[in-house]
Amino acid sequence: VLTTRTTTTTNDLSVAVIVKLEPDFSEGNVSYNADGTLNRAETKSILGPHSAIASYAAFYAKVKYGARIAVGTMGPPIAESALQQAQLLCDADELHLYSDRIFAGADTLATAEVLKAGISKVEGDGKVDIVFSGHRASDGETGQTGAQTAWKLGYTFLGNVIDYNIDLQSRFVRAKRLISLQGFYDIIEEVEAPLPVFISIDPSYKALFNTVSQRLAFEKYQKEAKSRAENYKQFLKVLNTQQLGIDPKLVGLPGSPTIVYKVERIPKAKASRKAEVIDGANHGQLATVAANLYEVLGGMVIK
Amino acid sequence: MMMMMSKYQHLYVVIEHEDGVPVPVSLEMLGEARRLMDGFNRKYSSDEKVVAVVLGHNVRKLCEELIFYGADAVIYADSPELRYRRNLIDTKVISQIARSREVAAKFSDTLEFVKPRYMFFGADSIGRHLSSTVLAELESGLASDINKLVIEDLEIKHEHKTKGQAIKYEKTLEMYRPDFSGFLWTTILCLDNRNPSNEREYHPQGCSIIPGVFAPIEPDKSRRGQIVDYVPEFDEHDLRVRILDRKIVKSAVDFDSHKAVVSFGKGVKDSPEQNIKMLAQLAKEIEAEVGISLPISKKPFPVSEGINSTYMIPDRVIGTSGRKVTPLVYIAVGISGAMQHIAGMKESGFIVAINPDENSPIKDECDMFIKGRMEDVIPLLLEELRKQRPTIEVKK
Repeated sequence: VLTTRTTTTTNDLSVAVIVKLEPDFSEGNVSYNADGTLNRAETKSILGPHSAIASYAAFYAKVKYGARIAVGTMGPPIAESALQQAQLLCDADELHLYSDRIFAGADTLATAEVLKAGISKVEGDGKVDIVFSGHRASDGETGQTGAQTAWKLGYTFLGNVIDYNIDLQSRFVRAKRLISLQGFYDIIEEVEAPLPVFISIDPSYKALFNTVSQRLAFEKYQKEAKSRAENYKQFLKVLNTQQLGIDPKLVGLPGSPTIVYKVERIPKAKASRKAEVIDGANHGQLATVAANLYEVLGGMVIK
Repeated sequence: MMMMMSKYQHLYVVIEHEDGVPVPVSLEMLGEARRLMDGFNRKYSSDEKVVAVVLGHNVRKLCEELIFYGADAVIYADSPELRYRRNLIDTKVISQIARSREVAAKFSDTLEFVKPRYMFFGADSIGRHLSSTVLAELESGLASDINKLVIEDLEIKHEHKTKGQAIKYEKTLEMYRPDFSGFLWTTILCLDNRNPSNEREYHPQGCSIIPGVFAPIEPDKSRRGQIVDYVPEFDEHDLRVRILDRKIVKSAVDFDSHKAVVSFGKGVKDSPEQNIKMLAQLAKEIEAEVGISLPISKKPFPVSEGINSTYMIPDRVIGTSGRKVTPLVYIAVGISGAMQHIAGMKESGFIVAINPDENSPIKDECDMFIKGRMEDVIPLLLEELRKQRPTIEVKK
């Protein structure tokens, strides 16, 4: 039986972005231990690069559709700096920090539980049309949290999105996705889905503003974003377990199915090749390298 | 023999394919599943199965092939709605299958069956998200980007899982994942909560597997197994998510049609802009595609926008977080040789490294190790390459 659903007549669009404070891997800010592992204590933190791209994608919805934007993150108090940086990028109207000591040590499923509860606290009874997330965090790198949050919210999940547009009348999104499979060609897929949806943004996403009015709106909101981010605390709500109405057994360590059992240095593999050592300043030896390269490559094709 | 009954049995492998052609990681997962479950059944005197799960349309031939590649049984959901991947309906169909005792009963004696014991997905743009949503639906744990798997009985003492008591967890899947640095290996376990104040069962133990890591088994056409047809049910509302168009595109970065690859890593840092330009010249000289190590995709140095958007992009990453390449010639410049990178290039034909540090691990993975700073070495090497260039033969 086909169930008919009442469609809203409003043209409003409410979007949310979930972001993460991550180690800053840029030269001068990142610090490595002697064994090549990350020195977390000495490494600065910033809004993760993929979170930044998700924020741009949300800003596109503001410029193009006048969307209202909320940004949320789970983390310790210091994570509010990620919210401020995201606000500067997307001119957010509302910032959420989900913070509670019991959230610590959460795996992706327990994190998704918090983020789901957080989205439901967005102004307007949590009726968010699109939630954006980045491709993955640059420290955890699982790429799971977005999709799991989507599933818990009951939103259609669209991953690897490189472009999207909304039809506010029909309440549908049209998106392009980039699918790459190892050992196969890439596929660009165009998909449509009724709102609400959860979009995880591909690293190659770039917003394009084509019309003059869009460019004007872009400048206006960018200016607004700057002044808002300077006073970001006015927009900030900090929510704990109780305020989020979460079952404490479903979050943090108690709510995580997985644990980290051990961390070890990856053992050095047995030498798989025996290298001939070449003196990089010796012309004769480098001539041998060149000869070897040409030999292996065979006849180079002249085009 | 009387089998031990268990609520959780078998290893389900979610297969990826394009119109019936398996994506390589699917066969690799089946190979590893076969090896693991052969060891498991010997060790525990049991008869648990490797079960391939296929969603598609008119791909029965693929199902037969999967048995040759190690599956004991294939569960096949055939529908025109399942020709291409859609996360929403796929997640629901796979979860229905995973929970179906009736389906499991077709290939095993499973009176108690509730859910699979283990579940594998490919760690690519399809499987990464599908594994996340399926395990969220099945309310269990998932580890991503795995490159080593072991099944063990482990004694666990954990503040939350066991309330500090030592408890033996049998048949636990140890899931190893390399971290972002490529130097650390983290073992993830998915464990039931046996803490009396918060008891909860977490099955299946799920993971996504890095493509190109495990070897498929030699296909054996004499292998027999059961293909179980599953008739999926769809919610009409879910079918409103529609694929409008699919275009096959060549990746902007094309490793496959080049005979050579020149890759660079953090060693460019002293003057990134000039060094990358110089590298690009070297690549041009031998008609190579340019690759990078994972840290470069995190844009660690300020460079011009052109260099940034051309070279420091995820598409160029070689290694377990990117592409696996096998060119005739591979030149690693300023790359130390983290395992995560090595895994993506070690099968290249002839490997040259340019590096000032003779102790860096890349030395054990190359045929010629040019000791020196790239700033000094590349101009000289270019000079020698150009000197020898005239000996080119023209091929038709």
